[in-house]
This record gives sequence, C-alpha cells and structure tokens, in this order.
Amino acid sequence: MARLNDDAQWIVLMGFLVSFSFFFLAMVINQSTVVGQTTAESVIEFPKNDIRDVRGVIISSADCPSAVCPIPNFDVVKNDIRVISMNRKNAVIDYTYPQLIDNHTVIKIHYNNGVTEFNENWTAL
Amino acid sequence: MYFTTLRSRADMKNSDGQLYTIEGFAAALIMLITAYLVMNATSVYTAGDTHISDMQLEALGTDALNVMDTNESLQSTSPLTDIIDTTPVGTDNATFGAIFRNLINNRTALGPDHIHYTANYSYRDTTPPGDTVNSVFLNASRNLSGGEHAVRVTKWVVVNKQLPGDSVVPAQNRAVLVEVLMWRD
Repeated sequence: MARLNDDAQWIVLMGFLVSFSFFFLAMVINQSTVVGQTTAESVIEFPKNDIRDVRGVIISSADCPSAVCPIPNFDVVKNDIRVISMNRKNAVIDYTYPQLIDNHTVIKIHYNNGVTEFNENWTAL
Repeated sequence: MYFTTLRSRADMKNSDGQLYTIEGFAAALIMLITAYLVMNATSVYTAGDTHISDMQLEALGTDALNVMDTNESLQSTSPLTDIIDTTPVGTDNATFGAIFRNLINNRTALGPDHIHYTANYSYRDTTPPGDTVNSVFLNASRNLSGGEHAVRVTKWVVVNKQLPGDSVVPAQNRAVLVEVLMWRD
C-alpha cells in the first residue's frame, strides 16, 4: 500500500463543506414549490368571497326600507338563501330578523361550511 | 512467564488510511443524499399545480359578477338583476354574455383574452313538498365538454320574479344564486 499522503487535508475538508452546503440549498429549493402550492390551496379553500357575498345579500335584503322593498317577504328570501346555500355551497347559513336595540338595527349572521365558521352581529344606526 | 511475542488483533493498530475512511463515509453520504433528492424530484410541479392561475381566475370572475350586480343609481336595479328578472326561467340570455365576456376578456393592448364560461343560476322551487333546488341555464360562451379545468364563482342576487312553484301575485323578492364556471382556453 502506498504511503498515506496527508497533504492538503484542509482543502479536502473545505471541499466537503462546500458540497454539503450545496446539498442543503438544493433541499430548500426542492421544498419551495410545495410551499407555494399548499399556501395557494389554503387561500382558495378559505371562503372569503362566499362570506362577503352572503353577508352583503343578507344585509341588503333584510335591512331594506319599506319604500324600496314593497313586499315584506323576509322569510321567503331567508329560506331561499338557507336552502340554496346548503344545496349548492355546502354551507349552513342563518340570520335573524333585524331587531331594534338601543336605536340600532342588529342582524345576527351565522355561516359555517364545515371548515370555516363566521358569526357576526351586524349593527347600523 | 515472559511473553515477548504475545500480540492480539487490537495491538495491530495502524493509523494509516484514516483520511481514506472519512472520504469513504463522505462519498456514501453524498450518494445517499443524491438518491434521496432524486427520489423526491419524481413529481414535477408546473405553474398550474400551484393554483396561482386558479386564484387569479376566481378573483377575476368574482369581480366581474360584482360589477354586473352594481346598480347605477338608487332607483335602478343592477344589470345582473335585470337579466334574471326579465329572462324566462331556463332560457338563454345574450345580454349576460355580452357584458360578462367583455368584463373577463378585455385586456390592455394585447387583444381579448381567451377565458370561457358557462353560467347557471339556482333557485328554490316551492312546489309542494317544497324546498327542492333547481339549476337553470343562463348563458355560455362554449359548451362544457368535461375536460376543462374550471373554477366556480358565485353571486347571490335578489330578484323580483315569479319563479316556478311561486303563486304569489304580484311577484315577490326571491334570492337566487348565480353560478359561473370559468376556464382558460
């Protein structure tokens, strides 16, 4: 066996260090696409638009001046929203008839699609 | 007793080759990590897999429906409400297409985009025993073949309309859910 040549050990060691750091960087880059995907999926899953939309329609239809909404059909519209959202959006929706509390109109809104729950006491003067 | 030649295996310590051993371990580690990385890289992520384009399409469609459901004055109703109010249930409405297609496809300077859609709306049928939900066609830019990667956007609309099963005269306010499937072609 040839005599062990122990020159340049520092160079070899630094070479190892550099190559290992490259591997760790590669691992980080490898994970980055997966992180982007899961983030986007959770953003899509959160029903931001659904809640804003149903909240808007509840407030505008329930808190409606009698001059603009001539026929008081609160229960009909509420049942429409309740049944259709259960059928087409898999969400439980409930809200109360506007109550007058301390000169404020209050509507309690409840939304739950199994993943996200939203409750609100909507108040207006 | 005096043994001059008593030698076991442990006495044959030889400090040569330590660097070779370290090098061998390092090479083995490098190969293992490489194999690990290669095994992990079998699934290739494309831009579509990250759902960024889905999020953009959904935001665009929601905005377009919001614009269509905005009334120009307190006295008027929104274009979307008008369209559902005046169209007989289940029939095609070209006005919806004209407005919605422009809203989602208009671009600055590059010519129109290639987004297609098919629009329905759902209503509650009160015919006894009641509370069934029907979806009826509103308008489409192209028929759905089933292979599209579509996103769904929805919009609640309160209309003053006589829906099937409704016998109240004059027509009363009803809530319907407009559902639009959008995809890029």
